[in-house]
Amino acid sequence: MLIDTNAWLGTWPFRSLRDNTPDALIARMDRSGIDKAVVSYIEAAFHRHPQSANERLARDIEPHGHRLIPLGTLNPLSPHWERDLTSCIDLGLKGIRLFPQYHNYPTHGSEIRSAVQACAECDLPVFIPHRLEDARQHHWMDPGHSLDLAHLADLIAAVPDAAIIVSNARPLARSPLWMRGDLRDLNWYVDLSLAEIHYGLHRNTSAMKDLAYLIEEGGANHLLFGTHLPISYAGPALVKLALLPVDNQTRENITHRTAAKLLNLTQG
Amino acid sequence: MTLDIQSGILRPKIDMHCHVWLMEGWEQSADHLVNSGAMLGITEYWCSSIIQQGILAPIEEVRPHNNTILSAMARHPQRIRGWCFVIPGHFQDAIDEAERCLDAGMIGIKLYNQYRINDPAVHPILELATERRVPILQHAGYPVAEHRASQPLISHGIHFTEASEKYPDAMLIHAHIGGGGDWEHTVREMRDASPNVYIDVSGSNLDDGQVEYAVTELGIGRVLFGTDGTMAGSVGKVLDADLTDDQREHIFFTNAEHILAQQGAAPLHPLDE
Repeated sequence: MLIDTNAWLGTWPFRSLRDNTPDALIARMDRSGIDKAVVSYIEAAFHRHPQSANERLARDIEPHGHRLIPLGTLNPLSPHWERDLTSCIDLGLKGIRLFPQYHNYPTHGSEIRSAVQACAECDLPVFIPHRLEDARQHHWMDPGHSLDLAHLADLIAAVPDAAIIVSNARPLARSPLWMRGDLRDLNWYVDLSLAEIHYGLHRNTSAMKDLAYLIEEGGANHLLFGTHLPISYAGPALVKLALLPVDNQTRENITHRTAAKLLNLTQG
Repeated sequence: MTLDIQSGILRPKIDMHCHVWLMEGWEQSADHLVNSGAMLGITEYWCSSIIQQGILAPIEEVRPHNNTILSAMARHPQRIRGWCFVIPGHFQDAIDEAERCLDAGMIGIKLYNQYRINDPAVHPILELATERRVPILQHAGYPVAEHRASQPLISHGIHFTEASEKYPDAMLIHAHIGGGGDWEHTVREMRDASPNVYIDVSGSNLDDGQVEYAVTELGIGRVLFGTDGTMAGSVGKVLDADLTDDQREHIFFTNAEHILAQQGAAPLHPLDE
């Protein structure tokens, strides 16, 4: 079983994507050996009030419920976002994505803390992409900078009951997420989409690896499989999965067990 | 058809864009490069040590970088090959340094962002590379303005096209399509470049469709496999690209083999080894 915790449907405004419809994404998942994938509509990150995109998502993937796992998108600046959260639960959405850099609120402020706390109280995991696209190529209309991992670390510490998945981050082993000892037992996760394992570009011998350090130092329980399909290739995450220096039980946690638990998935 | 990642990992690859840095512990770093790449089927590594941030360092500071690479080549003679880093503005000293390194066994010249590839100051280097039939690997990309501020003289596609108009026989390699920046822009700019202009797939940007875009725009013979620190990512993007097995072989191996053949060299480990 392989669950992709970092996939998308819909339109990226600044570049044409392929495999961004439910049927096409499932075909791509088949080619990649991926059984299930969490998805939300990319464009919800650009909507001031994303609830209609959440409703459309629930409708569109209803026939594909055995393969695609829907995530809602919340904007805590939208009036009555708490009702949107309740509606997401009623729609059967399994988690929430937040986009501070697109909905324009600080990563360590009161708005995001309130939203994350509300999700935690509903037992919904929160997905916060470190970035959607490489900021070095961003379109002039795209505010999409990468988030500050130190701020995300503060958020994790501020809402310790929450499950927070920070996707698309790199490098990780020497980032505040792992270096802050007070976070090590909390429920934060990162994925395999961008971070390397055994080799990283380095100018000193203490930084020759990335995820391999995290694993050696006991952090494998913070890892999830995620690709960033169809914005990124799936191949990099699949190659890293093949090279992970972990035992079989840990590998199964990374491929699907941890994700299934976070998403409250039943068998099948 | 499902991707066969395991078989793809095992197939031989020439990594034509990587580094061993002038630093304390370079030996450990070189060993780590070779050991890490072995897990991914990489059979040889074309390495450089460079001066970054556009710094116009004196030639006396350049030579130790290349000496580190020569030492790495001696440490791993069956795995590591060298790019000779020069700063073209050193003129005769740069030519002499390139000649020294090529005579010592390096297989090409590495340029960073001190000068654009089409700058007249680079012409003598282009002439030398043409004469010796060695490639030039040029740091390149089309980052947005705020990311270009730290490297105002970074080259992008149009500069390669212009350089290749004057030196059509020079083998020019645009570094890292995934190195950060608008990769569609820089590739499109090279549509009309000489057939001797290449691009490598390295870099941390793993945008879907990137490799196929380069193949479509430039042709399969002009796309090279490199990693520049993104080892698994670079392997993964080529394995996942919508290409035939034969096309993947071109990228992973035979295009680099073709470049080596121009100077009478061959891969350290042939494909059928």
